[in-house]
Amino acid sequence: MKALMKLSDVAVSRGGKPLLSALNCVLHPGQVVVVLGPNGAGKSSLLLALAGLIPADGVISISGQPLSGLSKHELTRHIAWQGDLPPTEFGLTVRQRLELAAGEETGQIEVVATDMDIAPLLSRALGKLSSGERQRTELAALMLRDVPIWLLDEPAAHLDLKHQIRCMQMLREQRARGRAMMIVLHDIQQAMSVADYLILIDGKGAVEYGEAETLFDIRRLSQLFAAPLKQEGSLLIPDYRGTHEAT
Amino acid sequence: MYRRLLLPAVAVAACLLIGLAAGEHWINPFTAGKGLESTILWELRFPRLLTAFAVGGLLALAGAWFQVLLGNPLAEPYVLGVAGSASAGAISGLMLMPDSAWVMSAGAFAGAWIGIVAVMFFAHLGANRMLLAGVVLAAFWSAVLALLLALLPEQGLFRAFSWMMGDLSRTDIPNSLLLAAWGMALACGLILARALDTLLLGERHAEALGVDVKVLRQRLLLLASAVTALAVTAAGTIGFVGLVIPHLMRLLFGSLHRLVLPASAIGGGLLLVLADAAARTIIAPAELPVGILTAIIGVPLFLYLLVRRG
Repeated sequence: MKALMKLSDVAVSRGGKPLLSALNCVLHPGQVVVVLGPNGAGKSSLLLALAGLIPADGVISISGQPLSGLSKHELTRHIAWQGDLPPTEFGLTVRQRLELAAGEETGQIEVVATDMDIAPLLSRALGKLSSGERQRTELAALMLRDVPIWLLDEPAAHLDLKHQIRCMQMLREQRARGRAMMIVLHDIQQAMSVADYLILIDGKGAVEYGEAETLFDIRRLSQLFAAPLKQEGSLLIPDYRGTHEAT
Repeated sequence: MYRRLLLPAVAVAACLLIGLAAGEHWINPFTAGKGLESTILWELRFPRLLTAFAVGGLLALAGAWFQVLLGNPLAEPYVLGVAGSASAGAISGLMLMPDSAWVMSAGAFAGAWIGIVAVMFFAHLGANRMLLAGVVLAAFWSAVLALLLALLPEQGLFRAFSWMMGDLSRTDIPNSLLLAAWGMALACGLILARALDTLLLGERHAEALGVDVKVLRQRLLLLASAVTALAVTAAGTIGFVGLVIPHLMRLLFGSLHRLVLPASAIGGGLLLVLADAAARTIIAPAELPVGILTAIIGVPLFLYLLVRRG
């Protein structure tokens, strides 16, 4: 199977500070790579680099072509990026936000809006929405981007429990349709529900990449997050009643 | 569609008619015969109306662009110090050749571009830092302006203050050039409209949707600055048109630039036409500087918008 994205010795820095280095990874159609690590480790920066939004060292190739050789416009045919909530100062409505994502293909706007529970909000200004509603708008905007690779930075952030579950279902549906995804997540349960592979970034430059089954390991993840975890059956659960020393 | 255009078309026609008819003497354009009334209407008021319309439209377009470029709804054409540098240039021209309006205009144009070039050194730093640099440069140009005014002979002070508060009575730039610039600026704006809409999502989202933000910012800065320089040269510094009109048009027509830009180009023009008509009428036969009127109309309008937008 031809790789959609291939990373060879990729290193990312922000403001002169090296965040991660020597990352090698391959993303095939229908595969999900979840990126885990503590705050400030460089997870979001990795996605930004892969989306061509900040520079990176090493070789990133997209469907066999080097990322650096693709124009911004060409990149939009391969990659969709979901990141921070966009600003709301200028009164864009939900529909207008979705139209900007959809480009010429606006026929699916009602469908994805219904899917993300924002159909009644289509004519409302983004600034009048709650954070959760804005996040669902961003997910709907992403669903309008019919490209092979999605890069998602905390897609379930701001969402209530019902919509967190719907978000993870949607990601699994997309995977089943052959979408390749790299997803930054903080919730280990959510990560376990979608990940085929994991990238673990420790914030000190070290990176681990491998199959999710292997890397979902209580000792490894407790060390990574410097936080207590407990195992219940096959699940790894944050031990909110644990002590700091337990890590 | 035609019904939606009917009301704006009637408003435009009414504003233009008021602009023509108002003045020291009210002249009905439909009944004015030949002779003095016709001369006042078509040789004095009509060219000035065209100047006011074009300058107001250019300022509103520049305001809309600066607001998107800097990601700041409080931005306006003079936010980066162009008004201060243009004023300093104009007053320098006035000091050099007090009797030549042409030298004053040339000084304003040169001053505006010096201000623009100074800001462009900071364009690569991103919107927030460029805005900060612009505000600091504006303070610098204000100081230079204050120094020049302190050195200006007393007989030049009235002319200087009148120019600094907006003066449509003595422009040296032909109407045809101003209207051509208005049309070209609007056309450029419409070409960039989709990219500008995308930029409302922030630089990163715009780039992720395929917009080359760096190139767009450079083009926008150049375009908005050139338009501001031309408007300042033609009519001095006229505040509030560039700040208020784009917001008012967003309130009326939504945020998409394919509507906001033409509406601003027309709405800015009409506001200045009406403000100029009022400036010519209120203390006739003397005139008020038009910038005072735009501020008096603009401030309550802007505060109303602030409250309404909550």
